[in-house]
Amino acid sequence: MNKNYLRGVYLQLAGTVTLVVMLALAAQAYFSQVAFERALTPEMARKVASIGTSVRSLVLKAVDNGIPFEAIHGAEAYFDDVHDDSKEIASINITDTSGRVLYTRLSTPPGAAAHFSRPEVLALTDGDAPLARVGDQYIVSMPIASAQRPLGMLHIGVNTRFVNDLMLDMMADVLVVLVVSLFVTLELLHFLAGAKLDHSLRVLGETFERGAAGNFAARPDQGLDHTFGALIRRLNGMLARVNVAYASLERAVEDSRRVPAHERHPGLPAAQAGLKALQQRFRFGIEPQAEASTTDAELNKVRAPLFVFILAEELTRSFLPGYVRELMVPLPWLTPQLVVGLPIALFMLIVALAQPWLGVYCERKGHRQTMMQGAAIATVGFVASALAQSVLDLLLWRGLCAIGYAMVFVAAQAYVLHHATPATRARNFALFVGAIMAATVCGPSIGGILADNVGMRPTLALAATLALLSMAVIRQLPDTQFAADRPAARVPTWREIGLLLRSSRFMAVTVLAAMPAKMLLTGVCFYLIPLYVVSLGSTQAMAGRMLMTYAVMMVVMAPLTAGWAHNRERMRWLVGGGLMVSGLGGLALLAGEQVGWVFATVLLVGLGQSLSISAQSALVSEQCAAEVAQLGEGAVYGVYRLLERLGNALGPMLAAVLLAAYGYRTSFVVIGCGVLACGAFFVLTARRHTAHESATTPMLAGETPT
Amino acid sequence: MISTNRRMIAVATLVCGFAVGMAGLLNYFKYCSTVEHIIKDRLIVTGRSVEGSIQGSLAIGMHLGDINTLPGTLERERATDNLILGIDVFDTDGQMLYSTDRLRAARHMPAGWLAAARKDGQSEWFAQDDGEAAAGISLTNNFGLRIGYVALRYSIERLHEPERRVAVQLAALSAAVFAVATLLAAGGLLLAMRRLARDVQALNTDLSGSTANGPNAAPARGPFGAVMQRYMATVREAETRIAHLHTELQRGSGT
Repeated sequence: MNKNYLRGVYLQLAGTVTLVVMLALAAQAYFSQVAFERALTPEMARKVASIGTSVRSLVLKAVDNGIPFEAIHGAEAYFDDVHDDSKEIASINITDTSGRVLYTRLSTPPGAAAHFSRPEVLALTDGDAPLARVGDQYIVSMPIASAQRPLGMLHIGVNTRFVNDLMLDMMADVLVVLVVSLFVTLELLHFLAGAKLDHSLRVLGETFERGAAGNFAARPDQGLDHTFGALIRRLNGMLARVNVAYASLERAVEDSRRVPAHERHPGLPAAQAGLKALQQRFRFGIEPQAEASTTDAELNKVRAPLFVFILAEELTRSFLPGYVRELMVPLPWLTPQLVVGLPIALFMLIVALAQPWLGVYCERKGHRQTMMQGAAIATVGFVASALAQSVLDLLLWRGLCAIGYAMVFVAAQAYVLHHATPATRARNFALFVGAIMAATVCGPSIGGILADNVGMRPTLALAATLALLSMAVIRQLPDTQFAADRPAARVPTWREIGLLLRSSRFMAVTVLAAMPAKMLLTGVCFYLIPLYVVSLGSTQAMAGRMLMTYAVMMVVMAPLTAGWAHNRERMRWLVGGGLMVSGLGGLALLAGEQVGWVFATVLLVGLGQSLSISAQSALVSEQCAAEVAQLGEGAVYGVYRLLERLGNALGPMLAAVLLAAYGYRTSFVVIGCGVLACGAFFVLTARRHTAHESATTPMLAGETPT
Repeated sequence: MISTNRRMIAVATLVCGFAVGMAGLLNYFKYCSTVEHIIKDRLIVTGRSVEGSIQGSLAIGMHLGDINTLPGTLERERATDNLILGIDVFDTDGQMLYSTDRLRAARHMPAGWLAAARKDGQSEWFAQDDGEAAAGISLTNNFGLRIGYVALRYSIERLHEPERRVAVQLAALSAAVFAVATLLAAGGLLLAMRRLARDVQALNTDLSGSTANGPNAAPARGPFGAVMQRYMATVREAETRIAHLHTELQRGSGT
């Protein structure tokens, strides 16, 4: 009930802000258009006047050469050439001194003939080039006069649509701003009010439920939102009244019991029995601790700094390959494509290899300190990346960003785990993943827009500012200590890695599913798409929009598909099917090479990844139950994550090698085919495993036969 | 409630600030790129006219460095547009051949301009250094070989003048839209929050009524109505049983 009620309130709040932002953006677009029209029209008039001067000088040259003004052969064909050079020109007319049209081309607006004959137009002198609105065109009129006499007038029309087209051009970016605003709204609502509201509603609900179940034990102050304070105080007052009545009864019974036996009340045995029954039915007194609610409140605090920090890194996603290309220096033995992929691959490699050790480090230093250090290192990395002189020093600075990223990621994940109970683990992880996904939606798109307009270095500086800002929010986190009863984090041993690498079940889910999925993601989405989109003549903003589409697909589809992964068989189909759909994404470029097909690629990759991502991780423990029993869940998942992230690092390298050898489209197609094949092979392997399991093991509880 | 309201106003301010600010920034940059495009196109039109004159002379067998009528043509073309500071014609080594500015006649083309002009596959080029910029055209002979460049110099300051004017307009417009949007969003949020406040208030009223009239008076309304009724029923049960036991004990002492 709480959840639905709060969701209703949230939807209303987010809907209100989104509606207002939409109206504001529409109003801004309208008024900007008016301002643009006012400012651009004179500039356009000057440009048209320049064109007119050129046309007029050619006409005068013809007249100087003795050709009659009324019989210049080829004048209209020349107008076509002028239009080819300046597409915004909608009409060209030459009239005589009375306004009669002698030469005309393109689409003259209705009412033009009357305009050409107006005395004030015919009286225009050289130097005047006023702009008159006739129908849907702005007309610039210029006199044509030889040294001896006036000959006529030149009228050039420009379609008024040129300002509207400009605004339409911006619509995609404005739409991106709207989507990002929605996500920012949700994050801000959550950060500034939602977390506390959620906590307060939960406490209120719990108080009611506990009371309804007969638990009247009072809880200490739980830092509730002001809205609920009075209500909870009233409820607590009611509980206090019951507790006082009970205590009074308990005292009365005790007092009666202490008197000599012959003076005791005859009703005492019945009262004692009643008291015992009361104690069994109800719970009185004071609750020792309100652990669950406090934990919830503390858990929510990690979402905002995580969102801001990940947003900083995601800002760079759409333009980083382009930035590397700008800083390119020739490196022996490496193709330029490979050099462009190096910073991305190095980043992923550092994140993959450092995470197991950082988990141990985080346990020693605490969540807050590790996150602070990570954000500080990343801030330095971003600042230095913004000032990088060549790809060589950029590699070093991106390495710093990677270490910072890994530290913040590991510490935030450990923080979430620290505040999780088996019952709340999934919900807590949803909060963690939600913050990352929101940043993934907002970052690349806004980063692309800013890189296009402000420049790539300033956008990196903005990323540094965000990382710095995240430190201010991280400071608000409690300095939690690791509980002694939790198993300590540790780095997987070589023996464990060796054992798992020999397990066909583990290798099937890791090498056939997890690694190809990540290689496709980083190779295609993070490396090939930003470069390819720009190579097609499009912008970094477009690359950002593509990556945003991928993230939106994940945000929308992943929760749905997670619900489908009920049992092992379904998980296998989701993983295999998801891989095959992702692979088809790469093949989409066989159909065409335009941006639209790249968009189809992103949609299919997003859909495929959202199908497989939840099922894949759950399948590890399902499929590798024997390995989990032997080595422990921590070791199995540790090696799984390590290999999966190595796939992240391999993706850009593979894509770069393919790009250098075969070009963009073939690279997309080859990677797509590879992933498609992995998906098909995974499904076949899974069927074999399923057949083997049906023959050797009884069905698991909750599973349905297939 | 006050602190929640303040937070809602903060949300409205930040979100509207982000959205309107980003859109304003986009509008401004789009305007700048458009106006620069228009102005450069305009310069190129004049440049094409100069190129036409040069090609006419080359067509009758003249050498690029020996066109006597070119200085007059350049001066005439420069006068057609007050944006143009001067027109220069260079050879492929950057050696000045003609210029509307006599002081520049002995100069070399700036290295950055020459690099921009020499880029492969483009007949039009643009370059700029501190304070001055040029839109240019590559000159080719009948065999398609580059023989020189025309550079139309213009002031960056002049280019930025309309941009500054529009920046002020857009800033004022964005500020106004931001103010109105923030007010509307804050109002909307506070209105939406009133639903929550109303439900809580109803609960408070029901609870105070129940407290005054005994715990059985709570009506089942609002999102918490049902659970509150169960809560009140349990409280009532406990209080009744406690009272009953008290009575039992009292009655015993009376006999």
